[in-house]
Amino acid sequence: MGFDEDTILLLYEITDVIIAGLSIGSVYALMAVGMTLVYGVTKAFNFAYGDFFNMGGYFAWILIFGLGFQFGGYLGVLVIVMPLMFAVGYGLEKLMVAPLRKRADWENKVMMLTLGLALFLTSLYTVVFGARMKSLPPIWDGVLEVGQLVFAYQDIMIFVMSLGGILLFGWLLNNTRLGMAVRAVAQNPIGAKIVGIPQERIFAATFAISTVMVGFGGILLSQKWFINPNSGSTIMVKAWVVTAFGGMGSIRGGLYAAFIIGMLEAFVGWMFGMSYSIIALFILLLATLTLRPQGLMGKGE
Amino acid sequence: MRLKHMAIIIGVSYGIMAILPIFVGDIRFIMNIMIMCLIWAVVASCWDVMMGFAGIFSFGQVAFFVMGAYCSGILSIEHHVTPVLSILIAGFFTAGMGFLVGLPCLRLAGPYVALVTFGVHMALQPTLRGEIGIALGSGGSVGLLTIPPISIFGYTFSSANLVPTFYLTLLVSLACALVIMFVIKSYWGVAFLALKDSQDFAMSLGISAFKYKLMVFALTSFLTGIIGAYYGHFYGVLSFRMLDLDLFSILMVMMLVGGLGHFPGAIIGAFLVVAGSELMAPLGAYRAVTMGALVVILVLALPNGVMGLFWKRSPSRVAEN
Amino acid sequence: MKRISQLTWVMVVCLLFVSGAPAADTIPVGVPIPMTGWAAGSGSDYFKGIKMAIDEINASGGLLGKQLEIIRFDSKGFEPEVVMQAADYLCGQKNVASVQAGWAGWGQDVRAYGKYDAPFFADDGSQAAVDIFKEDPKKYYNIYQTTDVGVEQAKSMFRALMALPYKYPSKKVVIINTDDSWGLEVGDTLEKSFKQSGWDVKKRETVPYGTNEWGVILSQIRRIKPALIHMEIPSGQENITFIQQFLKKPTNAIISLGWGITPREVVDALGTSADGIVGEMPSGLPGPKAPNAAGQAWIDKFVRINKHQVPAGAWIAYTAVKAWAHAVDKVGDAYDFKAVNAYIQENGYEGEMGLIKWDKDNVLRAQKGAPVVHYQVQGGELQPIYTDPPLTPYPNSTFKVPRWITK
Repeated sequence: MGFDEDTILLLYEITDVIIAGLSIGSVYALMAVGMTLVYGVTKAFNFAYGDFFNMGGYFAWILIFGLGFQFGGYLGVLVIVMPLMFAVGYGLEKLMVAPLRKRADWENKVMMLTLGLALFLTSLYTVVFGARMKSLPPIWDGVLEVGQLVFAYQDIMIFVMSLGGILLFGWLLNNTRLGMAVRAVAQNPIGAKIVGIPQERIFAATFAISTVMVGFGGILLSQKWFINPNSGSTIMVKAWVVTAFGGMGSIRGGLYAAFIIGMLEAFVGWMFGMSYSIIALFILLLATLTLRPQGLMGKGE
Repeated sequence: MRLKHMAIIIGVSYGIMAILPIFVGDIRFIMNIMIMCLIWAVVASCWDVMMGFAGIFSFGQVAFFVMGAYCSGILSIEHHVTPVLSILIAGFFTAGMGFLVGLPCLRLAGPYVALVTFGVHMALQPTLRGEIGIALGSGGSVGLLTIPPISIFGYTFSSANLVPTFYLTLLVSLACALVIMFVIKSYWGVAFLALKDSQDFAMSLGISAFKYKLMVFALTSFLTGIIGAYYGHFYGVLSFRMLDLDLFSILMVMMLVGGLGHFPGAIIGAFLVVAGSELMAPLGAYRAVTMGALVVILVLALPNGVMGLFWKRSPSRVAEN
Repeated sequence: MKRISQLTWVMVVCLLFVSGAPAADTIPVGVPIPMTGWAAGSGSDYFKGIKMAIDEINASGGLLGKQLEIIRFDSKGFEPEVVMQAADYLCGQKNVASVQAGWAGWGQDVRAYGKYDAPFFADDGSQAAVDIFKEDPKKYYNIYQTTDVGVEQAKSMFRALMALPYKYPSKKVVIINTDDSWGLEVGDTLEKSFKQSGWDVKKRETVPYGTNEWGVILSQIRRIKPALIHMEIPSGQENITFIQQFLKKPTNAIISLGWGITPREVVDALGTSADGIVGEMPSGLPGPKAPNAAGQAWIDKFVRINKHQVPAGAWIAYTAVKAWAHAVDKVGDAYDFKAVNAYIQENGYEGEMGLIKWDKDNVLRAQKGAPVVHYQVQGGELQPIYTDPPLTPYPNSTFKVPRWITK
């Protein structure tokens, strides 16, 4: 059984496509995990989600290039930016989202509010940082060569971080008190209240944690794909599609969704051309939702 | 809100618009803005009926607008259909598309309807720009540049004679608004409301959720398609740029300013947002920043939009709704 | 009810105030350039050139004794209604004496501004826009394109690529372009040119903007082993990510980024790792070392003001303003549009590199006074290697074989 050269080349190519799919998938997973959390728990749709992504990147950029921050490399940057993002998320929730939750129809209102916030942030970035994209120095440069295959350390890191982050997250939800409180509030807000779980604090904390994850994802992603003030809406849409496809509120579903969509993009791009990936995605979405209206692993409503 | 009050608000708003050309008829720029207001008012109202009134979380309104516009444009360019007829055909075509999009949405919960309808929006762009679009005559990335203007009995309505065109737009927009008003206040409207508030109960009363949901899709798509086609014939050009999220966001803001679910708030919202946006034009790049901030403040301060202001004066109305 | 009508009245009255006329002792110039949205980056590049020209004119006494006043309008994403509005606002409302723009609508702008007579300058580079002009040259006589169309630029790119002092190991080429009219115009023309010269276009792919993951395409490239890869994506980000990912495991191919080499962030982000890449800038003034003293003075001034090298469009936008001002000066009346337009058409303008003239379609075709400049990145900066037409090696320049090409 001898493989001729063409077959070997083809196999290498397919492997490359799979790697590309995993790479895209891990980026999507990184984008989506924050939204899965926030939406699953608070049912608040955040239009400004992508802009928070960029916020993390811009904070890092200010530190590195604006202030010439040198201490501890990226670790130092993270140490400063993460609490900042937490504060932003917490503050946002308390000041803007919480007051709305008391009203009827609040999901729509929160959506509108975050839409305004998205408009505000996107144009603020354009005005403050300029319309041209900014880049961050990579945490880890260089490549790993395994025979004919090449892996960029940056991609490996994104893959590990996003996967790790999601799984860590899932573990936290299931095995810590805070995590269980969050799940309780998500599944049965009234019951949770009865048992004495402070709903407002949980919501704010959830929002804040998701903002931290988003900011972190933003910093990671900015090294690879740069910070573009206008990309907020694109990121939000991608994260939303992944989250919804996976089933709102299901972390594992979001993970599967991210990688399925990543693979789909890679293979459709390979077989038909990259312009067809959106159409392919749409068809997949439609097909899945027809069979499983609650998403891949969502809980039926 | 009573039919009478709705009618009065619509009447006053359109009435004011109708008188304005007396003062600003020769200022092209303002006349153009007002025509745009009238067009967006219809789209925003249709979207409001879907989201606010019928409670269907649809993100596909802009897609239907563009579909109607392209359909009519292609029909009149490639197949030499006279604009008035092509607009009507485009309306029915879009209604059909709305019906088709509505079908898979029947079984889906709120956010998923948003996802599917938004998926339509997202998939429309590469379709129009790609080979399918070019084959149909969409002009691909270049778009349509030669759409003929509307002509009735030999009289051409285009940007060359703005004032008559303005009044035509006013009529079309008013007609659409009135259609919406009567539907809301009819038996259908009550059924929509019932389905939104409590689907199970409504169904137990014999209201078919499927039938009414599809009707909402079809009706709003029909009107949106018509006004989209009208837009195409007025501006004479179409491009896929209309599918960028700018228009989407602006329409949402219009619904918000007007008051979501409180027809005819969206009409007033459209007028106010467009006027406000133009007022802030001197701010240049800071305009968008200011608008975003204003939206946030507006949601917090006036959650029911402008209609909410009106409501505050008549608490008894609240009980009705 | 009262409140609503009151509100509406307030808004309307305010609108009326918005429509103020400019001061009588200035000459207004309309500048419909995107300040927000996806094209804002390119917009600011053109604006820098326009502003430099206007400031220069104002500093030396103004035009016909009056100061020039810039009236901006945000073209955002060039949606149909925005383009129309810009024309009606600038020409109709503000009664500007001229409209200076960069990217302006690729055809929509011709329709919008053709309704008026003020000289309108755009840098669309689009055959579609020229086709509309040809429909009615009399009506659109005030529309000027400041760059040759994509088709011609692509032919120039092809000529330059074939003229490189480099022996291509094979005749396999891969062409990647965006899915808009620019990308398709250039991609189609290049594909035709290559095929006619006996090359094998192994892969031609159209990608959407925002493509940043090139793994799939790169793996196909590694299999094909082309001698030449041409990317035509007029945006910085996609080019940067492609090059970065390509360099992780490069193949022996000359990389040509076409117009995509000109956004400043490409060389800024890649630095010397971009060395070896070639590309082009249409209607360009070669730099950083200009071909003559006048050009060098211009570049030095631009760099001093803006703190970076000259991006695409800045110089030709400057030149368009100067050409218009010169015509107005000769005619004596900024609002005698017929005369001003006639002067521009007949006489052109003497720029830093010589005379430039618009052809009968009002297009500034590639010419000696405003050539297509072909660059190669060397030492982390764009260095001119050719100007076209005619295709001439740039004085004191050498083409360096990219370091990733191994024998």
